[in-house]
Amino acid sequence: MEILRLEKITKSFPGVIALKDVDFSLNEGEIHALVGENGAGKSTLIKVIMGIHKPDSGQIYLRGKPIRINDPNHARELGISAIHQEIAVFPDLTVLENLFMGWEMVRRGFIDWKGMRKFAEEKMKEYMIELPLDSDLGELSTAQQELVQILRALLQNARILIMDEPTAALTTEETEILFSDMENLKKNGVSMIYISHRLEEVFRISDRVTVLRDGKRIFTKNVSEITPAELVEGVIGRRIETFYPKKKVDVGDTILEVENLNFANVVRDVSFTLREGEILGIAGLLGSGRSTTAKLIFGILKPDSGMVKVDGKMLKLKDPISAVRSGIAYVPEDRHRQGLILPESIRFNISLPNLPIIPRRFLVDLSKERQIAEEMIRTLDIRTPSSEFLTMNLSGGNQQKVVLAKWLFRDSRILILDEPTQGIDVGAKNYMYNLMVELAKRGKGILFISSELHELLGMCDRILVMRKGRIVGEFKREEFDEEKIINLASGFEEVNSGGRV
Amino acid sequence: MRKNIFLLIILGVVVMIMSMMSKEFLRFSTLLESLRYAVEMGIMAVPMTMIIITTGIDLSVASTLALSGILMGIIWKYLNLNIWLAGLFAILIGSGCGLLNAYMITGLSIPPIVVTLATMAAYRGIATGLSKGRGITGFPESFQNFGQGSFMNFIPYSVFIWVIVALVGYVVLEKSKFGRYIYSIGHNETGAMFSAVPVVRVKNILYLFSGMMAGLSGMIYSARIGAAKSNAFMGGELEVITAVVLGGTSITGGEGSILGSTLGVLIITFLKTGLNLARVPHSVQSIIVGIVLVASIITYTRFGVGFFKKIKKGGV
Repeated sequence: MEILRLEKITKSFPGVIALKDVDFSLNEGEIHALVGENGAGKSTLIKVIMGIHKPDSGQIYLRGKPIRINDPNHARELGISAIHQEIAVFPDLTVLENLFMGWEMVRRGFIDWKGMRKFAEEKMKEYMIELPLDSDLGELSTAQQELVQILRALLQNARILIMDEPTAALTTEETEILFSDMENLKKNGVSMIYISHRLEEVFRISDRVTVLRDGKRIFTKNVSEITPAELVEGVIGRRIETFYPKKKVDVGDTILEVENLNFANVVRDVSFTLREGEILGIAGLLGSGRSTTAKLIFGILKPDSGMVKVDGKMLKLKDPISAVRSGIAYVPEDRHRQGLILPESIRFNISLPNLPIIPRRFLVDLSKERQIAEEMIRTLDIRTPSSEFLTMNLSGGNQQKVVLAKWLFRDSRILILDEPTQGIDVGAKNYMYNLMVELAKRGKGILFISSELHELLGMCDRILVMRKGRIVGEFKREEFDEEKIINLASGFEEVNSGGRV
Repeated sequence: MRKNIFLLIILGVVVMIMSMMSKEFLRFSTLLESLRYAVEMGIMAVPMTMIIITTGIDLSVASTLALSGILMGIIWKYLNLNIWLAGLFAILIGSGCGLLNAYMITGLSIPPIVVTLATMAAYRGIATGLSKGRGITGFPESFQNFGQGSFMNFIPYSVFIWVIVALVGYVVLEKSKFGRYIYSIGHNETGAMFSAVPVVRVKNILYLFSGMMAGLSGMIYSARIGAAKSNAFMGGELEVITAVVLGGTSITGGEGSILGSTLGVLIITFLKTGLNLARVPHSVQSIIVGIVLVASIITYTRFGVGFFKKIKKGGV
């Protein structure tokens, strides 16, 4: 049965049409995925449903009746709740306290803990959710913390949950737990709008998928009737081949050899080689050990055993300093925390890892430094008023360019790019791909880690698949097979064949 | 920069009020003479500024000062070593104390506040034990003159050392590559590590440097007092930290300057000298220093100097 229906919703802001004649429907007990690039209109659509934006035209129906949603509180009264990651949570308070924060039940002027506990326990039973009510929220895993928010919404009688990238901060295992909880909710007739950039998750969990692009609905289809490639094409509006500027580059000598790298249970017996001019992809789900492998090579983490050779010479896996000296660069996945010193200028950030090779022994040569920064700003086309601009005020794409500039300046030969296109817009993504091709042409070896399989398929000469810390597969460009890689990475193969891969 | 201008204004106000309270105060010679009592604080404030910028702290400086002074006295008295050579030993001993702090902080990954809280007690305890509670006195004339005399009867000799340390500290922190590393660690230690900043080495050097300057201060203090005492500079670590924080160094890291800290030292020193001359009791002096500290920090935030810090916190 249809619970929510949006008809011909149009919403424009000064200068842009954010949504144009968008239709959307949600059935009872359905998980409906909403996908599209940044700026495609997903968040505007959600805000219309939450009553934050009023549509210019179009009509919303709730259980068949036309309705106007005034504001988020009104939406909540109607049973529509959005699950945000950063919504008010109090890590030092218990789960029970968090559930009722702001709307505590009161009896004779005192907080009615017994009543609230009983109410929460009943709901948990109803929806088959298990949560330790007396633990501090901060002690819970991220997945459980999200579940607390879901339960909070259910306690407030939510029937429609809007989940915006709920798995962004979860490990593979946690994601699975969340998914099974979502399936329980589904059985109880709760409907969910699921927003994610991870297309494999869309296939895993949702019933239908709606693709938005440039404010228009491209299509709505049952997930069982669509292939990943079709979905990608719908999202970016081009065939994959035209979007990725991949060029064939003659692959040269081996520059990086990784042998039997081990780290706790996170990375196990990882070995591979990287050659000049090669773009080597690492596919795998979150928590598969991709980034940890990169951090081991770069010297951020110390391996339990194993070695790394650059040009046949053993690398001291001690700290990033020796890695950088032998020509390895690492563009980390978290550019805010790891990639940049946000409160400092572009100039400061670009020169930071390069201070040892900037002229003068002890003091900083400011004018030389500024000259270098300006040169990199020009080469990489960083959009900024000046080299003194603070990196915290740059857009995501430009921030990522600054991170790259740090390493391109010193002509690093081995580049490890960890999710380099995460959270940046299409134009900047395209730039990044072109840059990778250019760097490969110049003989650099690139290790490309990404959660978005289609960009690996589009850009790499070879792809390694990691799962649970091991390399479980290797594909050359001619053998690329999207389905096989997804299955290997998620472990479906294991289930299907009944044995180990 | 804005902070330093603000500090200069406070300094001016302090001097003005003090000179109204006591006629002796505004005499140039009084001001210069009062600097003699600020030298140890001023010297130790230099490494303290750098350490606090990296979000660390060194609570053991005053105890290191006492221990270095006592050991210097013992070496001089019982090993019959030249007093200046013994002074050099004081600096070495201070460095050793700092190195031990550094090892526990970076090598064993214990938070700086815990490590230096422990060594603050330990170093002071060793100093008390070694001196058996008695001071060591009778230092040679030349040595005492270094602590008590003045150049041309005008500028205290020890002030020159302070000026040199502050100048070197200024260049290192604000002009050198090493200083860059200090600020980057303070703003974002993880980010610094991913940028191949030698985080561990920088911290080791800073705590070593802090101990070394405490040792140097131990020598200067003994020369000034004419005795090495185990209770020397008791509680002084908090005074040093107060001066640094008053000088605009952010306790959450990433911000601060040597000039600011030096102005902070001067403000506290002139304030105390003036209050002493005006015969204000010690207990009231502490209250006034506290009020000045809180008032300046409130003013900083109102001026919007700590603006970026706030955004950073709000964003996480």
